[in-house]
Amino acid sequence: MTISSRRRLAVAAALSTALLVASACSGGGDDKGGQAASTELTVMTKLFGTAPDPNGELQQAVEKLIGKKLKITWVPNAEYGDKANVTLASDNIPDVMAVNEKSPSFVKAAEAGAFWDLTGKLDKYPNLKPANEQTAKNSQTNGKTYGIYRVRPLLRSGIVIRKDWLAKLGLQEPKTVDDLYAIAKAFAEKDPDGNGKKDTYGLIIPKWPGNYASASPYDVVETWFGAPNGWGERDGKLVPGFDTPEFLAANRWLRKWVQEGLVNPDFATLDSANWNDPFVQGKGGMIIDVNVRATQLLDLFKEKNPKDFDKVTLVGNLAGPDGEKHSYPFTGYNDVLAISKQHIRTDEQLDDVLKTLDKLESKEGSILLTNGIEGRNFKVEGEYAVPINQEDPKVKAIQNDVDKAFIQLGTRASVGTGAYQLRPADEASRKMREKFDVLMNEDLKTAVFNPALGFVAPTAVAKGQTIDTIIPDARIKYLSGAITEDQLKAQIKRWYDSGGTDIAKEINDLSAKAGG
Amino acid sequence: MATDLVPEVVQPAANSSRPATGPRRRRRTHNLWRYRWLYLLLLPGLAYFLLFKYLPMYGLTIAFKDYVPFLGYSGSEWVGLKHFQELFTGPDFGRLMFNTLLLAVLTVVFVFPAPIVVALLLNELRVNVLKRSVQSLVYIPHFLSWTIVASLTYLLFSVDFGVIANWIHGLVGGQKTDYVAQADWFRPLIVLQLLWKQTGWGTIIYLAALAGVDSQLYEAARVDGAGRWRQFWHITLPAIRPTIVVMAILTSGHLMDSGFEQIWLMTTSLNRDVADVFDTFVYYIGITQGSFSYATAVGLFKGVIGVVLIFGSNFLAKRMGQRGLF
Repeated sequence: MTISSRRRLAVAAALSTALLVASACSGGGDDKGGQAASTELTVMTKLFGTAPDPNGELQQAVEKLIGKKLKITWVPNAEYGDKANVTLASDNIPDVMAVNEKSPSFVKAAEAGAFWDLTGKLDKYPNLKPANEQTAKNSQTNGKTYGIYRVRPLLRSGIVIRKDWLAKLGLQEPKTVDDLYAIAKAFAEKDPDGNGKKDTYGLIIPKWPGNYASASPYDVVETWFGAPNGWGERDGKLVPGFDTPEFLAANRWLRKWVQEGLVNPDFATLDSANWNDPFVQGKGGMIIDVNVRATQLLDLFKEKNPKDFDKVTLVGNLAGPDGEKHSYPFTGYNDVLAISKQHIRTDEQLDDVLKTLDKLESKEGSILLTNGIEGRNFKVEGEYAVPINQEDPKVKAIQNDVDKAFIQLGTRASVGTGAYQLRPADEASRKMREKFDVLMNEDLKTAVFNPALGFVAPTAVAKGQTIDTIIPDARIKYLSGAITEDQLKAQIKRWYDSGGTDIAKEINDLSAKAGG
Repeated sequence: MATDLVPEVVQPAANSSRPATGPRRRRRTHNLWRYRWLYLLLLPGLAYFLLFKYLPMYGLTIAFKDYVPFLGYSGSEWVGLKHFQELFTGPDFGRLMFNTLLLAVLTVVFVFPAPIVVALLLNELRVNVLKRSVQSLVYIPHFLSWTIVASLTYLLFSVDFGVIANWIHGLVGGQKTDYVAQADWFRPLIVLQLLWKQTGWGTIIYLAALAGVDSQLYEAARVDGAGRWRQFWHITLPAIRPTIVVMAILTSGHLMDSGFEQIWLMTTSLNRDVADVFDTFVYYIGITQGSFSYATAVGLFKGVIGVVLIFGSNFLAKRMGQRGLF
C-alpha cells in the first residue's frame, strides 16, 4: 500500500463514520421549549389529496388572519389513525392535533396528562363554544372535553338508487324494507340494463374498514329493523346493539339477499375505494351510504356521458318490518382538535392558543378554510359560492388547498357544512343537494341516537382491538353463509366472555354516573 | 434444548478470549497497528450496528413496563412479566402460534426448496441466451411490492371479476369459489404468492454456487461413464450443499416472520381466524391499539424464538457433519 492510498482509505473511513453518526443523530431534537407565547403553531390534520405548499397563497392568508406562523403536518386520511397513534408515542406531539377522542391510545395519553382538559374552558371563546349541545356531549370522553369537535351534518345516511333502472322496471322509490327487497330482486332478475343477460345485482357493499356501529350499510339496515345504534336501552339497562333480536332479524334478512344473489358476490373483499365502480359500470343498482355519494355518482355519470347522466336518485331511511321508521343518525362531528401539553405548558399559553383557534374558526376564518379567498378562487352569489378563475394554475392551487386540506381544520364550518355552499353545476345536482336537507330533517324525527357515544369503557381501552373485530367478522361470516345463526350467537357470547361483560358493566356505570 | 446448545456455541469464543501470554499479546498489538487502516474501515460498520441495532435494544425494556409515552422510558412503571403472562394465558396465543407455525412449515416445505429446483433446472439449460432471459424473467416479481402482488391476486382470483377464478369455474362448474375471502384458500394463496414473488430471486445464490463447480469434475465423471443423473447426484448436489445449509440456517431465524404486509393485505373478515399471526397481532396491539408494552413483549418473544431456531439449526447442521454458520 502506498502512503497516499492509505491516507485516502483513512479519509474514507473517517468520513463515512462521521456521516453515519450525523444521520443517526439528526432524527431527534429541535425542541422549542420556552414559556413565552409562541409565534408558531404546529398542527396535524388529515389530507385528502396533495399537500398544500406551506408558502402557498391560502396558508399565507390564514396565517395573516390568525397572526401566527403555521407548521402543518398533513397526513393522508387512509393512514391517519396509525400515524396519530405513532405520533402520540413520540416526543414530538403537535400543539393542535385532529384526533379520535375515543381511540385507546389517545385516551391513554390524555389520561396520563398529555393533552389539555378543555371541559368548561371553551365557553369564553365565541367561535369555539359548542354550537350543538348533543354533539358536544357525543364528543366528550367520559364527561371530559378533550378537544373542539369538527362539525359534520347530523344525519347523512341514505340509499342511492339507479333512477333509470327503477323507471325501466316500473318501480316506485322504496318506503319500507320490503319495498327495498322487491327492488333488489327486480334489479337482479329482471334485466334492468336490458342486455338480455342476468348479470346485475341489487345492492353493492364493500369490505368495510370500520368495526361495529361505524355507519356501515349493515349498521344502517340493523337500525331500520329496530336494533339500537351502537348501544340501546333494554329492560332498563344499556346493551350492545348486536345483543338484540332485531340485530339477528336484520342480518337474517340480509343473508337472504346474499344467498339470492342480490348483493355483489365480493362484498367481503371489494375495496371501499372502488365502491362506485360497479354502480357506474351498471353491475349493481343500489348503495347504502352517506348522501354525498349520490352527487359523487351523478358527477361520475356526467363524466361518462354529459348528455344523459340524470340516473341517480336518493332515498332516505326506511320503515322496518313492523311499519315503524327508525333512522340512522351520524355523530354530528368527526374527530376533535386536541391541544397537547408538550409545548403549551401554562394556562396563559393555552389561552393564547385558544384565542388563535377562535380567530381561525370565526366567520372570516371559516370562509378561508372551507371556501377559499373571496375574489380569487370564488365569488359570492346569494347564498352560494361560485368558483372563478379556475383555469389559472395559481387559483387552482388555492382551490386544491381548500378542498383537499384546509377544510379539515374547520370546526365550525367544515365538510358538508361549509361557510358558503358551493353552487351546483347543473339542475340535477341542485335538486340532489336540496334533497339532502329535506331528507335529513325528515329522518332526524325518527333518528335512533347512541346513548353511549360520549363514553369509552376502560376495558375497551385496554383490549379493544382484540375484541373489536369479533362482531363485524362474525356478521360477515354469517351473511356469507360460512357460519349458522347459532354460531353467530356463539360469537356474540364470545364477545362477552372476552371482556364484553366488563365493557357492558362499565358503560352502564358511566352512563348512570353521568345521570343518563 | 436451548440450555445444552449454549456451551457448544460459546466455546470457541471463550477459547480465543483467554488472556494471551506475553509474545502473543505483543504480536496482536503489532497486528492491530499493522492493519490499522483496515480496522479503521471497520468502524462505520461497527458504528452502524451499535447505533441502529444495539442502541434501540434499550427500548425492549418497555416490554417489562407499563409504557405511557407521555411519562417516557424512565417515568413508566415496571411491571415485570405481566405482559408475557397476558400473552401466554390470553385467548389469542394458541391461535397465533398455530397460524404462525403452520405458515412457517408450509414455507419450509414449499417455498424453501423452490429456488433450488429452479436453479438446478436452469443449470441444465445449455442455451445461454435462454438461460439468462428465463433467469431475469423469474426474478422480476421480487421487485414488486406486496401491495401490487395483493392487488394482482384480487384481480385474478376475485369471485366477481377474477380472470383465473372465472376460468376455473368454467372448467369445474358448480358453485363459484371465493378464493380471496375464504379461510380455506388463505394459506394456499399465501404460499402461491411467496413462490411467485421470491423463487426467482432465491435462485441467484444457488446459480452462483453452481457456476463455481469445476467443469473438470463433470468431464472426469463422464469419462468414468457417469450419466446425467449420476453427475447430478454426485457432483452438482454435493457442490451446492453448503449453500443450501447456510440458507436453511438463515431461513430458520425468520421462520416466525410471516411477512406482515403480505398477511395484512390478504386478511378479510372471513379468513381472520387463520390469517392472524404474531406480526399482524403486534401491529394491531401496538400501532392500532397503542399498547406499546404488550406489543413489544410479543415482538420480544418472537425474537427469542428466532434466536433459538438459528442456534438450533446451526447445531443440527454441525451434528450432521456440515459446516455451520458459526
